[in-house]
Order: sequence, then structure tokens, then C-alpha cells
Amino acid sequence: MIQMFVQSAWLIPLYPLLGMLLSIFWFPAITHATGPRPSGYLNVVMTLLAFTHGLLALIGLNNGQAPIEFSLPWLQVAGLDLSIPIEISSLTVGAIVVVTMLNLLAQVFAIGYLEMDWGWARFYSLLALFEAGMCALVLCDSLFFAYVVLEILTLATYLIIGIWFNQPLVVTGARDAFLTKRVGDLFLLMGVLAIYPLAGTWNFDELATWAQTAEVDPTLMSLVGLALIAGPMGKCAQFPLHLWLDEAMEGPIPASILRNSVVVATGAWVLIKLEPVLALSPFTLNACIFIGAVTALGGTLIAIAQIDLKRCLSYLVSAYLGVVFIAVGVQQVEAAFLMTLSHAFSMALLVMAIGCIIWNCITQDIRQYGGLWARRPITGIAFLVGTAGLIALPPFGGFWAMLDLGDELISTRPMLLGLLLVVNALAAFSLMRVFSLVWGNQPKPMTARSPEVFWPMTLPTVIMVGFVLHLPLILQAIGLLPDWATINKDVALLFIWSTIFGLSIGGVVFLGSYIKKPVEFPIKAVQDLLAYDFYTPKLYRSTIVLFVGILSTITAFFDRFLVDGIVNLFGTVTVFSGQSLRYSTSGQAQFYVLTILLGITFLALLVSWPLISHLSLVTS
Amino acid sequence: MLSLLIWLPVIGALVLALLPAAVPTHKIRLGAIALSSLLFAGSLYLLFQLDLSDPALQMQEYIRWIPTLGLNYSLGVDGLSLPLVVLTNLLTLAVVYSAAIWIVNGVNGSDRQRLFYVLVLLANAGIVGALAAQNLLLFVLFYELELIPFYLMIVVWGGAKRDYAAIKFLIYTAISGLLVLVGFLALRWLTDASSFDYEVIKTQGLSIRTQVVLLTLLLAGFGIKIPLVPLHTWLPDAYVEAATPVAILLGGVLAKLGTYGLVRYGLGLFPEAWKVVAPGLGIIAAVCILYGAMAAIAQKDIKRMVAYSSIGHMGYVLLGTVALTPLAMVGAVSQMISHGLILALLFYLVGIIEKKVGTRELDVLNGLLNPLRGLPLTSALLVLAGMASAGIPGLVGFVAEFLVFQGTYATFPLPTLLAVVGTGLTAVYFVILLNRTCFGRLDNRTAYYPRVTLAEQAPALALTAVIFFLGVQPTWLVRWTESTSTAIVASLPAETPEWRVATGATDSQEPTQAIALTAPALSTQSQSTQAH
Repeated sequence: MIQMFVQSAWLIPLYPLLGMLLSIFWFPAITHATGPRPSGYLNVVMTLLAFTHGLLALIGLNNGQAPIEFSLPWLQVAGLDLSIPIEISSLTVGAIVVVTMLNLLAQVFAIGYLEMDWGWARFYSLLALFEAGMCALVLCDSLFFAYVVLEILTLATYLIIGIWFNQPLVVTGARDAFLTKRVGDLFLLMGVLAIYPLAGTWNFDELATWAQTAEVDPTLMSLVGLALIAGPMGKCAQFPLHLWLDEAMEGPIPASILRNSVVVATGAWVLIKLEPVLALSPFTLNACIFIGAVTALGGTLIAIAQIDLKRCLSYLVSAYLGVVFIAVGVQQVEAAFLMTLSHAFSMALLVMAIGCIIWNCITQDIRQYGGLWARRPITGIAFLVGTAGLIALPPFGGFWAMLDLGDELISTRPMLLGLLLVVNALAAFSLMRVFSLVWGNQPKPMTARSPEVFWPMTLPTVIMVGFVLHLPLILQAIGLLPDWATINKDVALLFIWSTIFGLSIGGVVFLGSYIKKPVEFPIKAVQDLLAYDFYTPKLYRSTIVLFVGILSTITAFFDRFLVDGIVNLFGTVTVFSGQSLRYSTSGQAQFYVLTILLGITFLALLVSWPLISHLSLVTS
Repeated sequence: MLSLLIWLPVIGALVLALLPAAVPTHKIRLGAIALSSLLFAGSLYLLFQLDLSDPALQMQEYIRWIPTLGLNYSLGVDGLSLPLVVLTNLLTLAVVYSAAIWIVNGVNGSDRQRLFYVLVLLANAGIVGALAAQNLLLFVLFYELELIPFYLMIVVWGGAKRDYAAIKFLIYTAISGLLVLVGFLALRWLTDASSFDYEVIKTQGLSIRTQVVLLTLLLAGFGIKIPLVPLHTWLPDAYVEAATPVAILLGGVLAKLGTYGLVRYGLGLFPEAWKVVAPGLGIIAAVCILYGAMAAIAQKDIKRMVAYSSIGHMGYVLLGTVALTPLAMVGAVSQMISHGLILALLFYLVGIIEKKVGTRELDVLNGLLNPLRGLPLTSALLVLAGMASAGIPGLVGFVAEFLVFQGTYATFPLPTLLAVVGTGLTAVYFVILLNRTCFGRLDNRTAYYPRVTLAEQAPALALTAVIFFLGVQPTWLVRWTESTSTAIVASLPAETPEWRVATGATDSQEPTQAIALTAPALSTQSQSTQAH
């Protein structure tokens, strides 16, 4: 019986896909009578089925069922074999369970959060698309299909951020998210194209095997490696492709729960899978570390300066995935997995807690909050648990991930360990700041009447609290926790101290009455720099956006007035003289012939370039 | 059977034209729909009759016609042309079915639907004839004849500047035909072939230099039709000014004659010279892709934007044909089909928006995704079509582009990478288009748009279904053409021919190895990749 669930685990993405397809019937333009809500319930049921299936398969795999590997034929053409390699192992099915579980909670959460919304069918079908995509991503053991899924999810990101497309900020946010991710994806595509002639395969397993013995030109491999990490960079919102995550916060919270926890993790997943290939080039690994370090430090600093509740969290997402980048850069794959997992759990909980608050306090401006502890204790506890799970606070998940990584770094790269300690302290400080400003201090007008929200939102939050609290037990059960005897006590103590440091300073600064409120950083310029995200939007606008804009204008101008202009030279004169264009009598035809001749000459020159270069060689 | 596909629409057109004036328009429409459905079914039948393992010409027909001219009625199809025939007939059906939406209020108050159907059927016959012709002169005949119905369609049902656009189109494409004709005449004259039959003409005896000159004639001729930058000026005007159904046919099938001719007659007849010009063509392809995308970004009219996107996307076809790997060739043929489908869908949806909202201006359009007062289904399909064009996986555009990229990368890395950049720029202008058109707030004071009926949506839905199906099951896209494409590439000489300039006495001693036959900018990179 359980064998059947294991063998059919590769069909799990079909549950959400079915839900997505069926949701279409409840689009407002199609079904009016029932309202859009049935689509939501349907998707919740489908996700529940997927989750149950995954759980049963996982139980089966843990009870000694053999992992399964096979490939599904997709396209075989002209010597290129694109079969989908499926890997059903406890790792992939475990990831599916996490993905579907978080999806289930987020979808139940959405029942509450989007209670009054009319866009349910669209929203739920997109959530389902994400779920299906992520399940498919972890199942297929191939770089090519990982790229395919990432690219589809890029489109889904565009649509799900744009769910409230009436608002201008949402529209620009959706646009930026799509284009930023697409930039990353296209670099990844270049990497995908370039790696095949080298390795002859896209299967992650075979790539790893190839990488062990491969001898490749280091420069080429560095370029390929950089292209390959660009995709995950976009997905994981790493500097300088991080802006989209900030703007994505314009979308609804239930989508943010998923985005901040598991959707960004898709990039980390691909990056981790690619680690053996990246290891071929030390330059790429160092680039990975550098990007991760900059993002981790920059992200935590920016998070501290944000006044938007959701953005306080979104920059921490970038920061923690930066830590994953560092882990991959120093080839600590297990630590990277652990960090991704613990981050996903804790961040989902933090966003849920914030969502419960925002939903009935209306505002996202952290300066209008305060004194919620008496009114919203459950949410407050949830936020604290999420904090504990994220930062290095034993015995929760984040601690073990940091410890795992720090253990390695202390002997090899102590500087990086120092950076991690700082990042951890800053993250603790930042979360303590949010907690103090929202739950601490005195109530403000916006928070004066703020009861706990109703069950569809509270229930998933509380369940998530349970998961975060139990994560260490789960980790122990699957043997991911280190033995007590082998723990490097120094590193553990360092992390604990850095956490205590961050939390206590945060508490003193934002809870206590010693520092004038609102708290301001002594140097205004620095605070602005951080608050405005290192002026990244300006940077984009004045570089790449400007460049493409100018170039396209020039091209259009060139096209209109030079290429076409020669043709219309005569015609334009007649337009200005107020006459309509005439063709039969004006000799216009000669101008067409002239342009065509010019064009052909150009083409002929280009095409016969070898001949011409040869000729000039002869005469000289 | 092939003859039937060519002559049935001609007969049908004659019958429609000669019916008494008392026959009501809707009956004529039904007749045209029935006929084009029949043609589509017939071409599908042929497609399934095609022996996929045999790369050679099939279903051949041969009638000696004018032996003194070397003109014979010789027809045949293979995996290169038959998919295009099916595409032509599919789009013809879509156009005939939907034409009534756009041409109801034509010039002078009368809609002249009957004339439209007659012209569409004639155009269809011309294109199918050109695709099936296996005699060079016969090909030119069809290639030129099909211009007349297109010219008339643009000039009768076009927009405000239709006269201008139509005459420009006519002059450009007529010269295209002229160049091709000159090339063919010279080819036969130089090779002393017994006729213009495709199989008889062999260029192996010619010097490379003569071959390149002849090939350049054909390149220029077909380059106008595709069109390649800088011969593209007729395209934006023709596509934009033409009525939606005409634009669908122009972009969906007529432009494909250019790329088809390039592969069949350029590559097929001049395999040696093709290898020489390939690096240059690779650059032209990259230029087309980037130029089309860049020009599209700056447009303010959505139809013009889509028109420019077409320039870019035909660049991928060209890119696929120059790499001379089986994979890239399959990709090129697939891209012709995929571009035909996607462009037709885009034009169709833009046409619906123009019809219902009354404008194509990006700055005026807003919020059409609104489920109650906007055009939700049209907008949703537009999102899908735009993304298909931008190469999002799961839709047919990705498969074709990816095959082209993967097949070309090893030979021409730089143009391939530039082409990848081009897909990124495609995403840029489609996001601009979608953000302005579909997203945003609908102005409730002005948003009283007529409903889009299901019957009006049907062709768009059908095209979407095909785009989606072929994207998920790409085997159905590539299987028809795989053996032919592989055979075309396999027939090429393994060695790149050497340049021998026969004019001076010193030349024959000149060491030819010194000349890089890839373009200078590319050679170092391609070597470095191949070395590993």
C-alpha cells in the first residue's frame, strides 16, 4: 500500500495543477452565482491531498522503501535527449512535504486574509501553480528542467504580485520582479547552454560526477559558473538583483508567506544542487561567498532601517539566503540545506504573525504601532517563536544551521565567521526592534482596538508555531543534528553571545525609555542610505533602465528617420506641405528601389566578408 | 493531393466570386469557412500521411509544362514545407472564420466580405503553391502571384495610411521576387541545367565565388520577405495598416516564405557557399533580434510593437539556419511554426482590443484585465501570448528558441548569447505592453466596451490551445521535420570550402588556411569552446 504512494510520488505536482485548472471555472467572468470562494476550498483540498500523499511517501521511504530514479521521455530530437529525470528519495519527498505543508497553511491563511477579495480564483490558481512548480523542481534532477521550472515561476511571480493590478505600485512591483528574475533566468539559460557542450549532460547527478574529473579552461568555467549562479541570485534576491523582493511586498500576505519562505528557496535549491559544478572554479565560489556576504550584511542593515512591517522581514530573507550563498561558497552543502529549511519555517511564521497584525490594524507603517502585547499575545508569541527559530538561539533550527557553518569557518575563514556573528546579531537586533515597536511600548491610535483575528489566520499561525518549535526534534529524527560530543563549544558560545547581544541591545534601544523615540541613527545620511535600500532603485533607473530606454529610443528614431526616412524623404516633404501622399506620379518608387539597393549592398558586404577581407589581403 | 490543396481554393474563390449578388453574405462566409476547414483537414491528413523516416520529397506530382523554358509543374513536400502548409491552412481557417469581426464596416459602407474571402483563398493557394513547388520557376510564379491578393487586401481593408503601406509592400516584395528570379535564371544559365526542376540543378560545378554572388541575390530577395534588417521597412507599415486578418496572414505565413526560401533554395542549392556566408548571417540574425526588440520597446502602438517583435523573432529562424547542426535546423523550422502561431494570436488579440476598446495606444489603454467591465479573457490570452513570445517554457516559443540556441551555441557562441539577450528584451516590451494594457485601473466612466462573444474568442482559444499543447508536448512540433532537417545538414560538405580567388596569378599560391572563415569577432571564442 505504502509502496504505491512512494512509486506514485512523482505525480504529486498534478494535484495542485488539477486544482489550478479547476479554479478557472470560478473566475468572476465565468461563474457569477457561487462567488469565487469554492476555488479556494478546492485548492485547499487539493493541497491537503498532495501533502498527505507526500507524507505517506515519506513515511514509506523512511521505513526502508528504496528510493526510485527513472526518467520520463519528453523530447528527443536530433541527438538531443531531453528526458525528465525523476528522483524520489527521502530528501526530495521531504522537500515536497515542506512545500505542500507551507502551501496548505498559506492557503488556509488566505481564506481569512482575502475574505473580502474577489480575485480568489486567480490567486489560488497561482498559488497552486507555485506549489506544482516547486514540487516539480525538487523532483526533477536536471538543470535544464530546473531552469524550465524557475522560468515558469518567474511568470507566476509576475502574475501573483500583480494580483491587485489596480494599484500603480503593484504594477511596477510586478514588472520589476518579473524583469529582475528574468535577467537572472536568462543568465542561467546561458549557463545551461554553455555547460552542455562541456559536460554532455544536464542531470545534476551526472554533472557532479563529471565535475570530479573534469578539466576545463578556468576562465570559461568561471564565466559559466557566474552565469549559473545568476539564476539563483535573482530568485534568492541577492545583491544587486534584490530589489524585486522589496517591491513584491505590495502583493497580498499569503503569497508573501510562500515567497519569503519557499519560493526564494527554489534558487537556493538549484544553487546547492550545482555546488559540485561551481566548485570547478574557485573564482565562482569566491563570487558566491562575496555576493552572499554583501547581501547578508547589507540586507540585515537595510532591514533595521525600514519602516514598513513587511519590508523589515523581506530584507532579512535576502540576508539569510545570502548566508546560504556563503555556505555553498565554502562548500558546506549540509549547512546550506539546514539554513534553507530553518529559514523557511521561521520566516513563514514571522510573515504569518505580521499578516495577522496588518489585517486588522490596516497599516503597514511600523511607526503607527505599539502596545499590542496585551491585545495580541498569541501573535506576539508567534513572532517571538519565529525570531527564535531564525536567529542562532539554541535549541532552535537557525542555531544548528549557523553552528554547522561556523564550525567549518572557524578554522578556514575566521573573517567570514566574524561576519556571520555580526549578521546574526544584526538580525536579532532587527527582529527585536520590530517586536518592541509593535508589541512593546504604549498603544497608538491604530492599535487601540486590535483583537486577535479569526481562526483561518490564527490556526495556521499556531500550527506553524508548533512546527518551528519542533523543528530541532525533526532534524534530530532525520539525523541532521550534530552529536553533542562533536560540537565546537566555542563557536556555539560565540553565536549565543551574538544573539544575546543583538536581542538585548534591540530591547534596550526600542523598549526602554533611555533613548528618545523615534529612534534615529546619529548620522542621517547613513540612515537614509539604508532606508532607501542603498538607493538601488535610483541605481537601476540611472543605469540599465536608462541604457535600454535610450538605446530603444535611438533604434526607433533610427528606424523611423534614417532607414524609413530615406524612403520617405519625398513623402515627408509632401506631408509638411499639407498634401496627401501620392505614389503613382511622384517617383516614390525610385526611392524604394534606392533604399532596397542600399540595404542589399549592406547585406552583401556583410555576407561576403571573407571574400572581401581576402581581396584586401591580396592587394596589400 | 497537393494539387488539390492548391487548386481547390482557386476554384472555390472563382465560385464565390461568380455567385449571384443575391446570395447573402453569411452564406458566402459559411461557404468560405467550409472550404478552408476542408483545406485544413486535407493538409492535416497529408501531415499524417508523411513518412517521417524518409527525408526526401514525398507526394510528388510532375507534369511537363513548357520544356523550352524549363518550367514544369512539379510539386512535392517534405518535413520542411508540409508543416508550413498546415500552418498556412490553419491560419487561413482562423482568418476566414473571424474576418467578419473586422471587416464589417469597410470602405464605402459596404463590407465587401465576398471579395475578402476570394482574396484570402487566392492568397492561400499562392502560398501553398510556393511551398509545394519543386520547380524554381514555378516557385517564383507562385511567389509573385500571391502578392496581388495581399496587395489588394491591404489596400481595401487597411487603416488610414493603407495606400502608402500597400504600395511600399508591393514594391519591396516585387523586388524581392525579381531578385529571386534573377538569381534562379542566372543559376540555370551558369549550370547548364536541363530545366528549372529543383533536383536537376546542381551548383557543385560552380566556383565558390559565383555561388556566393548567386546566393547573395537570393539572400537579398528572401531577406526582404523575412524581413532582415535593414530591408524591413515595409513591414511595420504593412502589418500595422493591414486589417487584423490580413496582418495575421502577412506575419503568420507570408513572411515564412522568406525563411522557407532561404533554407530550400539558399541552403539547399548552395551548400558550399552557405558555409562561407554563415558567420555573416549569424551576425545579421543577432542584429535583427536586437534591433527588432529595441525598436519594439520604444513603440506606443501595440500593433506596431507586435509588428517589430516579428522582426526580432524571424531573426531566431535565421540564426537556426546558419549553425548547420541538425538541432538548430529543427529549431529553425519549429521557430517558423511557433512564430506563425504566436504572432497570429497576438495580432488577433490586439485586433479584438482595437475593435472593442477603440484604440491601440499604450497611453490610453488601461486595466483590461478587470473581470466585469474589461476584456478579461482577451487580456488573459494576451498575457499568455506575450509570454509565449518572450520564450517562457511550457509554451511553444520556448521549445523552438531553445533548440535554436542549443544547436547554435557551439558554432556561434556570441550571436547565440546576444539572441538570449534578445529574449530578455522581448520580455521587456511585452511587460510594458501587458502592464499598460491589462494591468492598471480601468476608468469606469469610459469602460463601456461591447462584450467579446465566445464565437469571437474561438480562434484565439484554439490558437492558444495549440501553442500550449506544442509547448508541453514538443515532440508533436519537431517530429515532422526532424528527418528532413537532419538530412539537409547531412548533405552539406563536411569541409568548409576554401576561398580561391582566381583573378590574379598570385592568388593560387596564397595559403588559404590563413583566412578565418568564421567572422573575426567570433572565431576566437568558438575555438575556445570547441577546444574543451
